Amino acid sequence: MTKRTYLYNEHVKANAKIVDFAGWEMPVQYTSIIEEHNNVRKNAGLFDVSHMGEIFVSGKDALSFLQTFFPQNVAKLNDTMALYCQFTNENGGIVDDLIVYKLKDNEYLLVVNASRVDVDYEWLVAHKNDFEVIIENKSDVYSMVALQGPNAAEILALAGYEKEKQPKTFHIKQDKFIGEDVFISRTGYTGEDGFEIIIRNEKIAELWQLLLEKGQNLGIMPIGLGARDTLRLESAMSLYGHELDEDTTPLEAGLKWTIDKDKQENYIGKNVIQNQLQNGIRKKLIAFKMIDRAIARHGYEIYKNNEQIGIVTSGCISPTLNINIGFGYVSDTNLKINDTIQIMVRNKLYNAQITEKNFIKKHNKGN
Amino acid sequence: MLEKENIFCSKSHEYVCEQDGNCYIGLTDYAVEQLGDIVFVEMPEVGSHYAKGEIFGTVESVKAASELYMPVSGTVEAINEDLIEKPELLNEVAFNEIWLIKISADAYQQDVADLLGYDEYKEEVE
Repeated sequence: MTKRTYLYNEHVKANAKIVDFAGWEMPVQYTSIIEEHNNVRKNAGLFDVSHMGEIFVSGKDALSFLQTFFPQNVAKLNDTMALYCQFTNENGGIVDDLIVYKLKDNEYLLVVNASRVDVDYEWLVAHKNDFEVIIENKSDVYSMVALQGPNAAEILALAGYEKEKQPKTFHIKQDKFIGEDVFISRTGYTGEDGFEIIIRNEKIAELWQLLLEKGQNLGIMPIGLGARDTLRLESAMSLYGHELDEDTTPLEAGLKWTIDKDKQENYIGKNVIQNQLQNGIRKKLIAFKMIDRAIARHGYEIYKNNEQIGIVTSGCISPTLNINIGFGYVSDTNLKINDTIQIMVRNKLYNAQITEKNFIKKHNKGN
Repeated sequence: MLEKENIFCSKSHEYVCEQDGNCYIGLTDYAVEQLGDIVFVEMPEVGSHYAKGEIFGTVESVKAASELYMPVSGTVEAINEDLIEKPELLNEVAFNEIWLIKISADAYQQDVADLLGYDEYKEEVE
């Protein structure tokens, strides 16, 4: 049985095309994926991300408990700061990727992927041991929207949350907005400036309507999962189940920059990750652009010198650059930027070139 | 423009239409609507022959690649060259004003017998 978010009726009213995503009936597009994509880059877009999970970890041992999970160092977080993390298993494989927010001392919020909420919650509980913590999965209580794009801050201000109050990049605020307790963070999954707002289910439709109304003159549009995918790909953000899974370590996934190699505390999978830091990885994530006219898709094979060396994890057209782009894993970890590879598309090989991961230069205004 | 009363549609959402001595194959309006933004069309070689039900090309939207199946058997006489550079025309132009390929059909009447007339097809998909 698929689930519906509290914004389902809003999507239907807006003529969205609905698809099943991780057990949820979600809007894949309202008008056109390309139009929605370009609008987020140029103006602003509003996403229903209520399917994502909110897990709260609190208590005297909250920090030391969380430190046992991630290759990242949660101790570095000041109050109201956010950190991109991965849960790793004994083999260093990624159980999920998530954002950890420090709300205050002994109180953390974990925002996790929709498809992994139950896995993550059980993972936390299974490793609770003697830590004095309370682990609460409040995913059924809260809904979430993402307001993204160069006009996001202006629109949020017009909706009544002034710029002076808005959190800085990768920070979160617990505050009152539309008369309700909310969590507002300056985070997102598009490569643009923007916010993610968590609010009680019962208030999400009101917030959704308000942002669309106030953002009208600044070009806001509701955006579906289709454009969410092309936006994140262009800005080199991984998607769980595509670039990330339990057989892939953060180092293999190109997430070395997120790892604290000097972290003293033990965490699950640390041996494997430390070993990989010294001795290298089994495969590596590459980004590529198609030279020949073809589109690479999830599951297509990657070749070099007529030998299969890997597999595509994501691929699509880049609406911003009007080229075909993709990500994939290759076993040859010596491949470099500008090297040519081939992608097998319908039994024919097409040339592609390895590129920098971030296809678009981040054009956030900064804040 | 192809007259709707001459159009036959397959369950895989291609149409075929014989008009003014030519035989055109294209995508139904329902298919275009379902695909969303079309970003790539892979066309067959002119002169190649395909049996009814065989794959003759691919159409790709932002989200996915979908194969194109021959609604009738025949030999490719021409492809719509405009779609190579501008696949988005499929989204912009009425479905019966844009075709994918022109063929010479082997046995048109016989092959369309189990296809749906356009009106019947629309009722089926909607």
